Amino acid sequence: MNKILKIFSLGVIRGLLAGLAGAGAGIGITMLVRHAIGLPAWNPGPVTTIGIFTGVITYLVVLGAFNYWFRWAIGAEPKEAEPPKRSWTRYFNLDTNHKIIGVQYLVTALTFLPFAVALQLVGRLDLSKLVSPLNATTYESIISDHGLLMLFIVVLPAFSGLMNYLIPLLIGARDMAFPRLNALSYWLIPPAGLLTAFSLLVGGFDTGWTLYPPLSASFEYIGMNFILIGIFLSGLSSILGAINFLTTIFKMRAPGMGPFRMPVFVWSTLATTALTLTFTQFIGMSFLMVLFQRVLGMGFFNPQMGGQVLLYQYLFWFYSHPAVYVFVLLGLGIISDTIPVFARKPLFGYKAVAISSIGIAAGGTIVFAHHMFAAGIPAFLKIPFMVTTLLVAVPTGVKVFAWVATMWLGKLRITTAFLFVLSAIVTFLIGGLTGVPLGIVPVDLYLHDTYFVVGHFHATLFGGFLLPLMAAIYFWFPKVSGRMLSEKMGKMQWLLMTVGTTLLILPMLGLGIEGMRRRVFDYSLTLGFRPLHIATAVGGFLIFAGLVILAYNMITSARRGAPAGPNPWNSMILAWQVSSPPPEENFAEIPRVVGNPFGYGVEGSVHAIMSTETKEEIKNE
Amino acid sequence: MSDEPSVEIFGVEHVKASRTPVYLGMILFLISEAFLFGSLFATYYYLRAETKVWPPAGVHLDTWLASINTFILLVSSGTIWWAGRAIRKGKESSLGIGLGLTIFLGVTFLGITLYEWTHVTFRPWTNAYGSTFYTLTGFHALHVFAGVILMVSMLTRTLRHRFSSSNFLPIEVSSLYWHYVDFIWILVFTTIFIIT
Repeated sequence: MNKILKIFSLGVIRGLLAGLAGAGAGIGITMLVRHAIGLPAWNPGPVTTIGIFTGVITYLVVLGAFNYWFRWAIGAEPKEAEPPKRSWTRYFNLDTNHKIIGVQYLVTALTFLPFAVALQLVGRLDLSKLVSPLNATTYESIISDHGLLMLFIVVLPAFSGLMNYLIPLLIGARDMAFPRLNALSYWLIPPAGLLTAFSLLVGGFDTGWTLYPPLSASFEYIGMNFILIGIFLSGLSSILGAINFLTTIFKMRAPGMGPFRMPVFVWSTLATTALTLTFTQFIGMSFLMVLFQRVLGMGFFNPQMGGQVLLYQYLFWFYSHPAVYVFVLLGLGIISDTIPVFARKPLFGYKAVAISSIGIAAGGTIVFAHHMFAAGIPAFLKIPFMVTTLLVAVPTGVKVFAWVATMWLGKLRITTAFLFVLSAIVTFLIGGLTGVPLGIVPVDLYLHDTYFVVGHFHATLFGGFLLPLMAAIYFWFPKVSGRMLSEKMGKMQWLLMTVGTTLLILPMLGLGIEGMRRRVFDYSLTLGFRPLHIATAVGGFLIFAGLVILAYNMITSARRGAPAGPNPWNSMILAWQVSSPPPEENFAEIPRVVGNPFGYGVEGSVHAIMSTETKEEIKNE
Repeated sequence: MSDEPSVEIFGVEHVKASRTPVYLGMILFLISEAFLFGSLFATYYYLRAETKVWPPAGVHLDTWLASINTFILLVSSGTIWWAGRAIRKGKESSLGIGLGLTIFLGVTFLGITLYEWTHVTFRPWTNAYGSTFYTLTGFHALHVFAGVILMVSMLTRTLRHRFSSSNFLPIEVSSLYWHYVDFIWILVFTTIFIIT
């Protein structure tokens, strides 16, 4: 009995229950007020929207996200912080240590990942016409939810988790610049994820992940409101995170950590967070405008009231194209940092690789209208946007060239992490090369909204997110847990996921050229699309099987895996010079950085001088 | 800025206020907010460019009232600047007076805005013009409201003697925010009331 009661001492349980109560109270009060001013008490749109907002705020307050700030604001004496205990309950409470928050982010993302994949597998089964369990609206809702869950509840939080865990360790800091803000940005993710997932149960939303009005503004079920608020919260979280990461990188670097002594992942973080800091406001506002139109009857996108439908697309893509680079830049950073360790060679063209991250981000901000070539934008916009789109391929090419040149004549160690990096490069190359024809106006007019676009997008995200994430998990798991993942299972997973990725992407590209439209629920068997759809479905199931192996591997290895020691990969980066898992405040003494982080095989190359104490510790282990 | 006095952070180091992480964090936040208002201005000007009659027939705005509001916010920028200068010299009571005046002016601005909203002839759901008008002024008013809350908390801390000539960073950072919100109002005012 006591054990059951103990569950309520976990912040997350208390927070979620309080959130539900807060939502209920908000709904009740709104209905009373509506009744009092003579409106019908129950109108699902406005009532549940207010309920969601009150619920989220109650949840955050009960979690304690605002406690410190509130005490500060009323000028109270600051509380002495208790020394943290090593206990699993820390992961379920509001905690300000960047390593705890990083793991929280990653576990949340990895929890939603199989769910989001499974959703699409149902859709794939339906399209392969082996079994057809869905009707058109359910199908649309499922695939739309797959898209938004993946991008905003899996990709962004997974990368936030990696950045949180790694950035202070990579630049030689004890924590992030604003630890409490960091905690707040994490705790916005669970409600965002739950709202996005549960939108399916309250009617779903049938617009595809882009939520274009007029369909999104007129769709009758409140699932649409859930998704709009859920994604808004995720966006808010990444803006707050961006402020934190940028400040940390600018202000908290160890002495001697000049810009060209930072690992490429830090450069990628700079580029990524510069984009999220600024452009996310546009998607947040465009989603709020749709919400205002649905709930308050505003007329931004309603032509009858003088609104413009195309306005949404401008606002949406102004964010969502840079966002694509947000989704992949960190993956490219992981690839750049991993190859030198396993090739035992310095990263080829380090400065060019570092700056190309900024180049991709800067170029990515001025290409957004290429999503709208078929949407009736003015003709004079098309050619400039085509040119800028093609230009983005240049800094990306720099990276791929540097990766291959780093491996060239290297002393390769074929570990699972390295294998995932190889698959990621090939997949990302397919994604990049299929992007070029899509950027060319006449070709795009033919391929727009076909499976070619879906295939291209999945190739970039598998190559830029999923496979690099797997590489990062195999690479960093020893640091986080202190134990190695099983390489045997890892290689099995790599094989399944690589075959799965290929089977998933190539048929999609073929389908697109043949003329199969995306987001279409049905097709005629006489068109001959079915074998390719079946291949895609098989690819999806293989990837899912890979994820199951990963889960099993992580759970068993965390308990029984071989002890990792501080530096199993023999890496030069700061993070690997401390114990695994790292101590509470990372560095007993702030290290002094004296050289490049990639000087493998270069005689006398030193990245950083750690304190004498830490060196002794490493020797003893 | 060379004569800028330094502040204590972490209780030991003496750093110029503008070099602290908090100051940079606020600047980054304001850059982000620029994009929030950017999306609202983009919406306004896009709709305006695509609409034949702008503002639509029957829209009458009280430019005089809005001008008074502009004046109020400009004065409040002055009072918060004065308060900040006072605490650098260690004058706690002047800081309190400056903050109190700023809060009073901010609340007056919000009151006039509320009066304006209830006295214009259109509503957010009347037409797209109404939607952008209320969203633009609404989000700005929300920022003023947040600023007032920030100032109230600064005043509370002042009354509890939390600030001194070596500890005034929160005042610096809050007044940065306040000036920024005033600057945005100039843009909103110009967009809605001047360029018609």
